Amino acid sequence: MPMKGRFPIRRTLQYLSQGDVIFKSSVKVMTVNYNTAGELSEGARKFVFFNIPQIQYKNPWVQIMLFRNMTPSPFLRFYLDNGEQVLVDVEDKTNKEITEHIKKILGKSKETLEKEERERKKLSHPATFGPKKYHLRECMCEIEGQVPCPAFVPLPKEMRGKYKAAVKSEASA
Amino acid sequence: MSVPRGAVHAKWIVGKVIGTKMQKTAKVRVTRLVLDPYLLKFFNKRKTYFAHDPLQQCVVGDIVLLKALPERRSKHVKHELAEIVFKVGNVIDPITGRPCAGTRFLENLSDSENLTEADATYLSEKLQELKVCSTDK
Repeated sequence: MPMKGRFPIRRTLQYLSQGDVIFKSSVKVMTVNYNTAGELSEGARKFVFFNIPQIQYKNPWVQIMLFRNMTPSPFLRFYLDNGEQVLVDVEDKTNKEITEHIKKILGKSKETLEKEERERKKLSHPATFGPKKYHLRECMCEIEGQVPCPAFVPLPKEMRGKYKAAVKSEASA
Repeated sequence: MSVPRGAVHAKWIVGKVIGTKMQKTAKVRVTRLVLDPYLLKFFNKRKTYFAHDPLQQCVVGDIVLLKALPERRSKHVKHELAEIVFKVGNVIDPITGRPCAGTRFLENLSDSENLTEADATYLSEKLQELKVCSTDK
């Protein structure tokens, strides 16, 4: 499919995975109230247009709801697991400022993300081989320093079963 | 409680009330953004939940926050009404605390303040005419 529409770059996996706001596990619902007209809501509109897809891609289990033209002032509201609600006023803020702010208040810190990354790496051992889903390499022949795959490089005579069987029969005869 | 609150996947959800015809139960529609795998665009996917509303204070069109019950109340009701976020026709702006509708505040609307001088004189003349008519009759 060609790139259709305004700013179709928003619909690429590379753009979506570039989102850096990952919410803490206690954030369950995010509600954005903004207006479709007016200077004050400009930042909120840009936030909804550019950044909401990135946030939803990185946080698939957070429910995001958008409300248009309900109140004169634009704001964000987060509902946390312990019943707490966080209200963020975004009047007169650019979309970059909004993302920075919510990253600071409700995003996972860099240390937590790195720790999680390390935990995930611990689970898989890079030296083993097997199905592509769980390991890096599928066959022993792919590992450096091991015998190469006979499909590409014929095995030396002494390793082939044909030769070994012939030698054995000659020895017994 | 032997079962910890986890019988349902969604602990807190926000939705719009679409039906209140059941006694003490509200039918709530919840929309989530789901990524279409080919277009790579997010679309709203709807799901209806039933919520326990003991005081029957929901009207169709309210935006409500639902909380998951520790154990399901009946075959379909697994949530209860936690709070009404926006009441239909009576939306309160949380930043200022004033009632509003669309992009206007509703507080300071009253006829006498918005009348100009010309309006006031015109209206008083009209009133005079009416007084004359009534005495004739």
